[in-house]
Amino acid sequence: MSIGTTPTTPEAATAPRPDSGPDPVPALTVENLTVRFSGLVALDDLSFTVAPGTIHALIGPNGAGKSTCFNVISGVYRATTGAVRYADKDLTRLAPHRIAQLGVARTFQNIVLTHGTVADNLMLGRHRLTRAGFTASALRLPHTVREQRRHRERAAEIADFLGLGPAFDKPVGGLAYGDRKRVEMARALCMEPRLLLLDEPVAGMHPTERSAMAETIARVRDALNISILIVEHDMGLIMRIADSVTVLDFGRLIADGPPERIQNDPAVISAYLGTPVQDTEPEAEAEPEPGTAADPDTDTGAGTGTGTGTGTDTAEGTAPDTAQDTERDSEEAS
Amino acid sequence: MSDTRDTTGSPDTTDTVDTTGTVDTVAAPAPAPADSPPVQARWSGRRAPRGRRAATLTAGVVLLLALPFYVTSFWLQTGLFAMAAVIGAIGLNLLSGTTGQLSLGHAFFLAVGAYGYVWLAAEPSGTGAGSLYGLGLPPVLAFVLAIVLAGAAGGLFSPISGRLRGMYLGIATLALVFLGHHMMLNAPHVTGGFNGRSVPPLDIFGFSFTDTSPDGLAVLGVPFGGLERLWYVGLALVAVAWLAARNILRGRPGRALGAVRDSEVAAAVMGVHLTRYRASAFIVSSMYAGAAGALLALVFKRVVPDHFGLLLSIDYLAMIVIGGLGSVGGAACGAVFVALIPHLLTKYADDLPLLTAPGTTGSGVSPGDAARYLYGTAIVLVLIFAPGGLAGLAHRRPRRKGDGSPRTRRFPLRTRTAPKEHTP
Repeated sequence: MSIGTTPTTPEAATAPRPDSGPDPVPALTVENLTVRFSGLVALDDLSFTVAPGTIHALIGPNGAGKSTCFNVISGVYRATTGAVRYADKDLTRLAPHRIAQLGVARTFQNIVLTHGTVADNLMLGRHRLTRAGFTASALRLPHTVREQRRHRERAAEIADFLGLGPAFDKPVGGLAYGDRKRVEMARALCMEPRLLLLDEPVAGMHPTERSAMAETIARVRDALNISILIVEHDMGLIMRIADSVTVLDFGRLIADGPPERIQNDPAVISAYLGTPVQDTEPEAEAEPEPGTAADPDTDTGAGTGTGTGTGTDTAEGTAPDTAQDTERDSEEAS
Repeated sequence: MSDTRDTTGSPDTTDTVDTTGTVDTVAAPAPAPADSPPVQARWSGRRAPRGRRAATLTAGVVLLLALPFYVTSFWLQTGLFAMAAVIGAIGLNLLSGTTGQLSLGHAFFLAVGAYGYVWLAAEPSGTGAGSLYGLGLPPVLAFVLAIVLAGAAGGLFSPISGRLRGMYLGIATLALVFLGHHMMLNAPHVTGGFNGRSVPPLDIFGFSFTDTSPDGLAVLGVPFGGLERLWYVGLALVAVAWLAARNILRGRPGRALGAVRDSEVAAAVMGVHLTRYRASAFIVSSMYAGAAGALLALVFKRVVPDHFGLLLSIDYLAMIVIGGLGSVGGAACGAVFVALIPHLLTKYADDLPLLTAPGTTGSGVSPGDAARYLYGTAIVLVLIFAPGGLAGLAHRRPRRKGDGSPRTRRFPLRTRTAPKEHTP
């Protein structure tokens, strides 16, 4: 894409970033985080660190607690115990909009779009960087108009960066799925985040779009030098772009490290493929499965792997499920 | 964008939301510049050309400005009621249409505006039990302060309006109507009690908006009495209210409010302070109601408690539903529709079947009731056939010529808003 990193790199510095400035991107540290929903333990004593300027992947079977973790970091859920430290603050004590003010942006697993055009959506992302209130907007005071124009230009650049340039003034409702997914991403980028949380950014996308998105994510990190925490089921994508991977299962951390090590971690493999009843070595042959076999299709990748691999003998409940979170919840409660 | 290029041939990329075109989702994000011109052209066709819009607008404004020269005082008075309704509906629309916060207490804030103006502008009069308080401020100042007062009343309610959302706020605000009614009846020194209070006329630097002072004012040979003069005040107020609302909606606050309606979680994560924005929308809506109430008082020349009942709140909800939630122009159209009907039915009661003019004996329906039946029907029709309201009808994409494909059937009862597909 011609509108690649070039426009973003210099502009990122000039665009208003009130609380970032020259100071380095802080690390995000999750410390002993536990989240309980009335008896159901969604996250159990979870600790990991997202190093500054890296792509950190959070993976695990469905219902492992990845989205819960995202929701705690972005302030949507309250933590039962534990802390999330970012820029000398404990995010678990802050309201979502205060967390956004710190430069933490997130996308959603399901597309959450407001009405209006792509431009409107991206300008919503500029909310934390702009000041215009009701009176100033109603009267269209000059500085408000200037502010709006300036930020609209920046939003247009970000739209170009994600290949949404021609769609900038179109209603989002009429866009194709992949485009809307990119609007999500662009809106988060419009917040000029220092930590970007991506919740399944390529879910449901076409393979070609997927690789384009992977490339974009890597470019965002390189161009803006921000940290990215990503939840994704597409193992191929994770292994390709992630600098570090944390694996969750049943709310517990089961592995943490660089992708190569994760690929060969027995705990991860058993979480994804299930543990055989009697401990036979041949299972270990299936080791590279999560990395390679899951490549072409995301969610079902792990699922079909199970079907052919261990099948029905994974009665202990460690089998990866293709079911929805709710089903998993009931399973977990038992 | 190559994806959209793919859909240009397909009949249905209407402004309804549900085109999750998985089939069309083909291409890589590489933009195809050569394809963008037709795409642009297609999308710009959604609205009437700029020139025609401007012409329509100008014609409308000229017509409104010229009306006092041609129509009788009945029409002027009815028009002024409609203007007050337009201002109030624009305000309620900001709250209910844009932010998704239901309010049944709009009548209360209209009452605050109306009584506030009277109390601030009137000279104290009477003695003993029948005495009426008043500050005797200049009427223009009183008008502005009445709006501020209504805003302050909305602000007092903000601990509740900031926390409750949607339906729940509607129920909480229901209490306001009854509270207001009780206060109007039981503070006779301020409100005049059951019989209400007469309204001091508006007066700008000695120019009175009554039939006198200056006496016998005539413009182009047409005598300009109180209603004619007030007509232009009303027009100016509507223009200000309209522009302010439109600017708010197109600016940062409007986007934030829309986000609060569509997904609170997403809005909060984008940095929108939910409580503050909900409360702000409520306050702004109260101020609009205050302005509407004060204008209403000026037109009525008398404020009475019974006018500001629950039915008035419901009238306002009917206005914004008929007009189309979230659209300023729609709210205005709905307001005119709902405000005009009872007056028209009253005037022509004798000529219309099934109606009985008020004050006469007959077996027919009174015009007030008939008006409610009528816009009740209108609401049902709008919800079924035009979920976007009058505004939605105006913005409906014109049938595209040439491609020969039949229009995809619109599903009735589909709401204009996207289905809530989001769980955090």
